Formats: sequence, C-alpha cells, structure tokens
Amino acid sequence: MSPRDIADPQAARERPPFLGHGVGLRRDHFDRVLSGPTGVDWFEVISENFMVEGGRPLDVLTRVRERYPVVLHGVSLSIGSTDPLDEAYLDRLHALARRFEPAWVSDHLCWTGVGGRNAHDLLPLPYTEQALDHVVRRVLRVQERLGRPIALENVSSYVAYRRSEMPEWEFLAEVARRSGCGILLDINNIFVSSRNHGFDPRTYLNHIPPATVWQFHLAGHSNKGTHLLDTHDHAVIDEVWGLYRGAVARFGAVSSLIEWDDRIPPFERLENESQRARAIHDETLERSAGRRPAGVAGSARAAGPETGP
Amino acid sequence: MKPGGMIDLRQAQELFWTLITAPEGVRPAIEDLERRGVLKGRAIDEMFTGDGTLPAVERLDIYANMYFYRLLDCLAEDYPKVRAALGPAHFHNLVTDYLLRHPSEHPSLRHLGRHLTRFVASHPLAVRFPWLADLSRLDWARADLFDAPDAPPLSRDALAALPQERAGEARFTMVPAFVVLRFDHEVVRYWRALDEAESGGDPDDAAHGRATGNAAREGAEVPDTHDHEEGAGRVATPARRQSWARVWRKDFVVHHCSLDEEEAQSLELLRSGESIARVCQRLAAGRGVPKATERAGRMIQSWLDDGILAGVTLP
Repeated sequence: MSPRDIADPQAARERPPFLGHGVGLRRDHFDRVLSGPTGVDWFEVISENFMVEGGRPLDVLTRVRERYPVVLHGVSLSIGSTDPLDEAYLDRLHALARRFEPAWVSDHLCWTGVGGRNAHDLLPLPYTEQALDHVVRRVLRVQERLGRPIALENVSSYVAYRRSEMPEWEFLAEVARRSGCGILLDINNIFVSSRNHGFDPRTYLNHIPPATVWQFHLAGHSNKGTHLLDTHDHAVIDEVWGLYRGAVARFGAVSSLIEWDDRIPPFERLENESQRARAIHDETLERSAGRRPAGVAGSARAAGPETGP
Repeated sequence: MKPGGMIDLRQAQELFWTLITAPEGVRPAIEDLERRGVLKGRAIDEMFTGDGTLPAVERLDIYANMYFYRLLDCLAEDYPKVRAALGPAHFHNLVTDYLLRHPSEHPSLRHLGRHLTRFVASHPLAVRFPWLADLSRLDWARADLFDAPDAPPLSRDALAALPQERAGEARFTMVPAFVVLRFDHEVVRYWRALDEAESGGDPDDAAHGRATGNAAREGAEVPDTHDHEEGAGRVATPARRQSWARVWRKDFVVHHCSLDEEEAQSLELLRSGESIARVCQRLAAGRGVPKATERAGRMIQSWLDDGILAGVTLP
C-alpha cells in the first residue's frame, strides 16, 4: 500500500496478506528459533523491545526476519491519550519499520499514560463521540507519519466508563471505518472483557466488519474468581478456541498469533498452540467453503444482552 | 465540564492515573481526593462501572496492582543484585519511593531504572546499606550495556600490523558497550557472592539476560566482612574500600570483572586519548620500565581477549 493511499481511508481497506499462523518472538526462545526450522509461519515482536541501539535482540530479529514474515506490535503508541503524540517514538517506530519491513505495524486501542508519564499498561477509553474523533485524528496522523496504515487491537478491560455512548465493538469498528486502519482482533481479550463486563462475545464479533480484520490474537488468561485477568501465562482455553472458530467462520483467512508472555513454556508448546489455531482455521474454512457465514453462532458463551464495556 | 468533551477525557485520564498510581491504593486515594474537595461522594461509582461482585474501586485496583507490579518486575530484572541484597520487602519500598519520584517517562521500560542509581544514593536505605549505590551502579551498567551499540572488536592482526618502532604512539578506542566504574565498597566480590547464593554456587549461571558472564579475575585481599541479615541471608556485605570494575559486552553477553587501581587508571588514560607510551610511563613509576611494559602487555592482551578494544590509530 503506498503512502498516498493513507489519505483515503477507503483506499486503505485492502486487507494485508494472510501470513498463516505465528507466535510472539520472546527472548526465552531466541536460541530455539534460530537453531532450525519451526512449525510456525511468522513472528510478532514487541516494537519497543527493538528500539535499541545494538545487542542480541536486534541481531536475532535481523536473522529471524531473513527467514520469516514479521509484524511489529507496539505497546506504547498511546493512541487514546490526551497527551500529544510522541514524535520521537514515531521516529523510532518509523525507522524500525523501514529496517525490518514488517507485514504490518500494530498497537492497541487504549491509552498508556498522561502528563508525560507512562503506566506501561493498556488503559481503557470512554467510548464517546469525542473520544472517537480524538482517536481517529491521531490514527490518521500516525498513519501519515509511518506512511502505512496500522492495525489497532481491542484490549482486555476491567472497568468501563458509565458515560460511554456506544459499545466497544462499535467504537472499534468506527475507528477502523473512519481512519482506514485495520483491526487486530484479540479473541481472548473479547472473551475476558465479555466476562468482566457481562456481554456476549459473539455480539462483539458480529459487529466487526470482516474486511477490517487483519489479524487475530489468541492467548491464555487467569480466572481470579471475581474477574478474568489477561495474563498471557496459560494455554488458550477451550471457550476461547470456540470463539476463535466462530471468528474464522465470520472473518475468513486471517493471520493468527499465539501470545505467551509470562511463565513462558518451551517453544514446542507454543508451536502446538499455533498448530491448533491452524487446524481450526483450516477445518472451519473447509467446512464453510461455498457457504457465506452470516454471523458467529459458536458455543463460546450463552447468549447475553448486547451491551458492552 | 461537558460530558464526553475533550476536557472531560483529559480529566478522566488524569483522575485514572492518580488513582492507579497512588502508593496507598485506590480507596485511600479517593478518600484523599474527597477530603480535598476534588471528588464528591459516589463520584467514582457514577464515573466507572461496577457491581456487587466487583465494585468500581476494586476494578480500578486491578489496574493499580498491575501498574506497580509490572514496574517492580522490570526494576527487579534490571537490578537483580540490589533486590537480592535488600530482600523483597526493602526492594518493594525502594521501588515505591522511586516511582513516586521517577515515574516512567519513556515509551520503553528499558529506561525505567535509569535514575535509580542516583536515587538510592540519597535514599534512607543507603544509610543502613552504605554499599547500595555502588551495587546499583554495577547492576545498571550491566543492564545498560545489554543493548548498547554494536562494534566489531579490534583484531590481533590489526594490532600486530602496527610498526614496532611506533607502537608506543598508538592510541586505542573502546567499543561502546564498555564502562569503567569506581566504587567506595567492594561490590564486585559482593555481586558474585550474591550470584552464587542465588544460582547454587555456579557463577556461569549469572549474567544479564540469562547469559553467562561475571568474572572477578583480579585478585584482591579478602575484605573485612560481616554476615548480612537482609534478603541475601548469610552473604557477607562488602567492606568499605575503594575498588574498580570494568563492564563490557562480548558476543552479546554482558560481563564484568574487578580491576586494580592501575588497570582502571590505564583504561581511563586510554579512553581520554592518551598513548600506550603514556600508560607505560604511568605504570613505570616505582617499578621500572621493563616491568611496566610487561604489565601493559598483559593488560592489552586481556582487553583484546575480552573484545573491549575497538580500534587502534597512530597520530
């Protein structure tokens, strides 16, 4: 996609190439990934971890990039913050993207700090028209600066704002529609937030326009009794796999990625998770070949009210 | 304040930030804001969702806990021996105080700990643990060099190619991932003792990024010690004695070792652009030229082996 496409959000509607099924590249697995073939198709890396001057991570990424497609996934763009966009950060991100030529660049639909301070957490936005205008303006600015559309990911949340004027899925879809950005749909985050806020996760999927979805995230979470916590330290649970199956039926061939960031197991465990994503993806698409899915009717959760965070 | 307006969004974010970063927790922070008239009763429940299972305050507490513990974990990774020496309780309190003074102002967590070495020097814990600032500088140097710029090390061939008669005029440059540290306490020995205590006595298990490293090759007298009763259990704390270390990265692994004063001064001379002859001249004081030349040769050999020399030039 050329930089001039960015000026026209509709022109940026083209979905990027299907990469297959990947995993997040983490330091624990550097040696294993470099040692030979793997069972995954591509890697996602945390952009900020590679905004450095030298050392092993950059060397590893250089070598991984020679063999695999890579996606840059950031955690500090803070697209929803009321602070000015961090131009120095955008410069570094731009330089990183030019160097490693990722399939795409993504971050989160959230804010991470205010007043020049960074919480290094993905904090929720109120879903209001004014917040929507604010985010869309900033996405357009970022895309112009990077010379490419970006993808934004829905985050897990634990609290919501009572003055929100629309559900999260509507806000997310509208950001994508107005800015031309893609959506990185985190299936686990939808599930976690659905439990924390009491909505039907299938409703979320059914309100996201298929053409906007570039990527899926799959991850494990922790059940804290009163709430689910997005910890990325477990295998994907069956209910999330079920939701993923419904997502594949609705969105088609979308690149999937397994995230596992804490209590990181041997690489083979991630490969197995990725293989499961591949198997569900292939089986679902084969089954629905010739049919056009109208919506998600998976068994992830009993139908609930169509209200959201 | 217009509902849904930009000013409102800004205020909502500032309030959210205040609540989740309050060191005492969300509820005391709300009570404080209520006392000061910033918030009125039930304002939080009117602003944020919550229910009988999980009230709004407890939902905000989830963020507060994640904020603190994520940053605590980051600093524990960058300051592993400070944490080991202080123990979890003191380290927790140190981090709490540090984050109040130095919240993260950078998009990357890699920079979160950059002010800690100066911060601990004036922290009350430094009175009780006077070696704390020195130990923190060693930890931070190791973390900082992990992703310092790459540079190919000087080869033996390049050094051998120098005309013999002009070798004394040669000047070295160092790789960027290299630093010399001067301490008031014997913290290199202490760092190693902490490391061995953690890894069950195998010093090869310890280095930044779970790689290998750490060597204390330069012998020194056994310092006066006493058992340390804090987090490090029975590891003897460092004596107050001036000492030096060099920290460097070779093959993407960060190492450090102790230095004697002579080597530290020689390295500083070379870093300031002085020639090998000037270093030998300094070394010759009190021992004569042949021994000084021999010592300089041994040092240069070890710097070559460790890959800290980047280049050599003749004027």
